[in-house]
Amino acid sequence: MQGNISTFNMASNPSVFLLMVTGQIETGDFPSISDDLYVKFNYVYGQDWVTTAGLEEGTSQTSKKSQDDRSLYAWNFPLDVTFKSTNPFGWPQLVINIHGQDVFGTAVVRGYGAVHLPISPGRHVRHMPMFVPESSSHFQKFTSWAMSRRPEFRDHNTVARSEGREVTRVKSQGSVRVTFNVVSRDMKKLGYDVVPSTLSIPSAATASAMASNPTTGAGAAAVPTANVFAMKTS
Amino acid sequence: MAEVHIIGEIVGASCFPENSLFCKWGIHAGGAWKLLAGCKEGQSQVDIPVDEEFCAWSHPIDIHFATKGLQGWPKFHFQVYHQDSYGRNELYGYGFCYVPTAPGTHDVECVTWRPTGQFREQISHNFVGGGPQLRNPDLVYTSSDRDLLHTVGMGKIHLQLGIILRNFDKFGVEC
Repeated sequence: MQGNISTFNMASNPSVFLLMVTGQIETGDFPSISDDLYVKFNYVYGQDWVTTAGLEEGTSQTSKKSQDDRSLYAWNFPLDVTFKSTNPFGWPQLVINIHGQDVFGTAVVRGYGAVHLPISPGRHVRHMPMFVPESSSHFQKFTSWAMSRRPEFRDHNTVARSEGREVTRVKSQGSVRVTFNVVSRDMKKLGYDVVPSTLSIPSAATASAMASNPTTGAGAAAVPTANVFAMKTS
Repeated sequence: MAEVHIIGEIVGASCFPENSLFCKWGIHAGGAWKLLAGCKEGQSQVDIPVDEEFCAWSHPIDIHFATKGLQGWPKFHFQVYHQDSYGRNELYGYGFCYVPTAPGTHDVECVTWRPTGQFREQISHNFVGGGPQLRNPDLVYTSSDRDLLHTVGMGKIHLQLGIILRNFDKFGVEC
C-alpha cells in the first residue's frame, strides 16, 4: 500500500491521478469554551475516489487551553493521506468534530466543521469555522435544557453535504486552524489544470521554437523571455 | 468539450447589520454550458454566531460543468436573509460574483446590496422592518434594467473556490 507515489513508476498513459495531502490540525480558538477538548477527523469523498495510503480517520489527544493570552487549544495533530481518482468531482473533504465535557461530566460535541482539501499543489492554511446545531423548536430547547442534553447531528458527515441544510440552525463558536501540503500527480496528463502555470499558452510553442533556434545576435535579449514560456509548456 | 470543476465552500458572511443569517445561492451559466454533476443551487444553514462577528455557513460546493464555448462563464448569485427568533425571514442582500477563470485556489468576496425603495418604504423599513424585494431576481446578475433601482450596501459573502480546468489549452484558450 505504501504506494504508487513513493516508487515513481513512470506510467505513460495514466488513468488515475493521485492526491497526496500532508498537514496538521494545528490549533483551536474557542473563546466561549473552557473545558478540555479533543478532535476527531475523517474524510468524506465521492464514489470515484479511493484512499491508497494513510489514515482515513483519527482522534487527537485531549488538550487544555494554553495559559498565555492567546488561550488556544494546540493539538498539533498530523494528517497524512493519499487518494486516487479518475474525476475531481467528489473531491475529498476533511470533516472535524470537537468533543468536550459539560459541567456534569457528560460528553458533548463542541463543534462540527468541514472543508474541501485544497485543489492546488503547495502549502495552504484553512480556518474552519466550528458550529453546533440548535434546537429546532422552543419545546425541544426546553427538553434539551431540562435533560441537559444538547442537540447533535445524527450523522456527523451532514456538515460535508450541500443538500438539506436549509432545515438546520446552528450556533458557531470558534474555529480550527488546519494546514495542508498538497502534492498531485498525473493531473496534467489527464488534462486537468489546477494552477495557471500548467496551461500551455498557444503562442509559447512559437516562442520555444525561437529559443531553440537563435539565429541573430538580437536574440540574446529575447531568449530569456522565450525560455520562461518554454518552461511553462513543458 | 472543455470542462470546469468548481470545488470549495461558501465560507460565510460578515459586516451585516445583524447576524442569524442564511443564504440562498445559485449558479447561472450560458446556454453552451452543461451541468454534468453537482448541485447548482441550494440554501445554507442558519447561523447564530456566539461572537457576533462572522456568520459561518461552511457550505460545500462541488460542481462539474462541460462547455462548448466561453460565452456565459458561470456566475454565483446570492440572496442573504436574516431569520429572527420567531422564524421570520427578511431579505438582507442580493449579490453576484463570477466564478474565477484562472485555475487554482481563490478567496472571493462578494459584496451585497438591498433595494431601498421610495421614501415611504424607507420610513416603514426603519419602524416595522421588511423592505422591497426584486420582482425579478435575475436582475441580480444582469447589467440591464438596473438604472432605476435605488439600493443600499450591505455586508459581504466570503467564498473559497478551487477551480480546475480541463482541456482548455487543447482549444487554444488562455485562462
